[in-house]
Amino acid sequence: MKKRFTIFSILVLIVALGFGTTKITIWAMGEEAKSLDKLAQLFMEEYPEYEVNIQAIPWANAYDKILTGIAGRQVPDVAQMGTTWMAPFGSMGAFENLDPYVKNSKIVKEEAFFRGSWETGKVDGKLLGIPWYVDTRVLYYRTDLLSEVGCDHAPQDWDELYDVAKKLAQKGKYGITLYQPQDNYQILLPFVWQNGGDILDSKGNVIVDQPEFVEAFEYYTRFFTEKLAPLGGGGNLFQDFATGDTPMFFSGPWMVSMIREQIPQIEGKWNVALMPKKKTRTSFMGGSDLVIFKDSKNKEGAWKFIEFLSRPDIQVKWYQLVNSLPASIEAWNNPILQADPMIALFGEQLFDAKAPINRPEFQEISVSIDRRVEEAIYGRKTPEGAAKDLKKDIEKILR
Amino acid sequence: MKTPLKAIITFIGPSIILLLIFMLIPIIVSLTLSFTDFNVFAIYNWSNASFIGFQNYINLMKDPLFWRALLNTLYALVVAMPLTIILALSFAALINREATYFKNFFKVSFYLPSITNTVAIAIVWSWMLNPDYGLINWFLGLLGIKGPNWLGDPAWAMPSVIMLVVWKAVGYNIILFIAGLQNIPDYLYEAAELDGASRFQQFLHVTIPSLRPTIFFVTVMTIIGYLQLFEEPYMLTGGGPLDSTLSIVLYLYRQGFRFFKLGYASSIAFVLFIMIFALTFIQMKVGKNIEA
Repeated sequence: MKKRFTIFSILVLIVALGFGTTKITIWAMGEEAKSLDKLAQLFMEEYPEYEVNIQAIPWANAYDKILTGIAGRQVPDVAQMGTTWMAPFGSMGAFENLDPYVKNSKIVKEEAFFRGSWETGKVDGKLLGIPWYVDTRVLYYRTDLLSEVGCDHAPQDWDELYDVAKKLAQKGKYGITLYQPQDNYQILLPFVWQNGGDILDSKGNVIVDQPEFVEAFEYYTRFFTEKLAPLGGGGNLFQDFATGDTPMFFSGPWMVSMIREQIPQIEGKWNVALMPKKKTRTSFMGGSDLVIFKDSKNKEGAWKFIEFLSRPDIQVKWYQLVNSLPASIEAWNNPILQADPMIALFGEQLFDAKAPINRPEFQEISVSIDRRVEEAIYGRKTPEGAAKDLKKDIEKILR
Repeated sequence: MKTPLKAIITFIGPSIILLLIFMLIPIIVSLTLSFTDFNVFAIYNWSNASFIGFQNYINLMKDPLFWRALLNTLYALVVAMPLTIILALSFAALINREATYFKNFFKVSFYLPSITNTVAIAIVWSWMLNPDYGLINWFLGLLGIKGPNWLGDPAWAMPSVIMLVVWKAVGYNIILFIAGLQNIPDYLYEAAELDGASRFQQFLHVTIPSLRPTIFFVTVMTIIGYLQLFEEPYMLTGGGPLDSTLSIVLYLYRQGFRFFKLGYASSIAFVLFIMIFALTFIQMKVGKNIEA
């Protein structure tokens, strides 16, 4: 009798394991993790054979957690990966190549996403991440202060931006904020792209000494040498925007709600606009991608979950939950995203936004860009001289 | 009576095991890594790293940013260490006076910065150091001085960092000095007073010589601490502007955990280790000579 019972229980256990739910573990960061649980519930209703387990990681620890996870091979099935982290972590070789998955997918297709956003998932030519949500930068400006200096619309091109900044600086303190102490390359590169330049060409040659790059670099530097933009960090963007000390700056979609909350006193006196035009209006593409780890034991389920999150209807739901902008182009046709004209403008800018190429050395390249840019804006070197040194730096890094 | 081996193992075994796991093994691993080209490709797959002999150390000697970081660190050390000791000793002497009221209040107030999270401190300080509406420049403005752009000016960024680290370190050292001061027997002061020594002479000829062991300990610890300068510039300036606050450990962190060149970063760590070891060794020798 006792023996029978044991055999029976073992059989039950085997059946339970075989036909029970499969677990998918997901690492998500910050506030997103809390709200992602709601989407996971929807997923499990549709696919009862899976059990999704979301682990929240605070943004402050995320970098170390992923690093030690990869080194110690203690990783989840899926993780959220900031687009600027795709290069360093993607280069380690711990992420699954997603090209074959996309080939067989009806939902995740290259053309369903913003072009620049899709590129963020590629590392060294391999597709390692699928866009989840995106952000990009646009121009924030004080409508009242600009009209005081005779400009009744947002600056449309480089010349206009410079003129307005100059007039604003003469009248007030500064015209614009164009510097951040860390990752300043994210502010410089859009200007370079707008002028048709880049860091590397398609063959991998360093082209930072070419006229397109240097001209953009000179344009950028002029704002500092003529004191139209403040040097150094430590300022409070909100306070400076409210007082009018810096009536213009470039930033991402998160600032829309933050300005409304933190400095409501200027409500109705500010707006957002597309990037100023040179040859193009290219902006910086950011956001988060989703990756599957090579060590995952349940890649099929992981991919199902990524497909689910990529669906336009779920992308809209995600926007409603946390205000993250959809990476899916179709999602933007939904009236919910067109309701707020400021958010709708981001949808327009996203068609002309890109990210720097993801390669193993990019972190190092970005730090050397920041150093050389500082040398120029502090007046230690001419932009041309700094660009020449930058070329040498990058060539040394790539060697 | 000989202590049984069992007792020895029970008492010091755990701490030796901990020391092995968390100190010795990492040091040996790091030393080994410093002779390899361990980089981003090796983190997931160790076989991608190979031994390259002393190449990391040769590259390090040719790396202008390493020398810059070394100079910056020494600059911080040379300015911050005497400042810390002088300030801590003076405040300790003042707090320890019999006539001082609210002793515990002062002790706690000075000690608070050392137990407060550096991240929070750095945010508050970056506001205080703001050139336009920061507290420090507002105060200087009252005195008719136009304060500099503290964190934005390459010449003032390091002094700003030094201000912060000294402010943070003083409290802890005050406690050490107070403990030292309370060990000085009263009769020494009484004898000095009978001999007609002034307060200041008493301080110079009784207090300081009696405090020598404490001063020695504080000096060693602050030197080690300041050579490892990291959190404050990391939070306040990120090493800029123009690399003016790039410290050795910050550079190590950048190479190791931003660029994932862990082999190269380990060689930096090892050079720093040797520097600290040598400086402490010299101090021990000098300290012994003074004692004798």
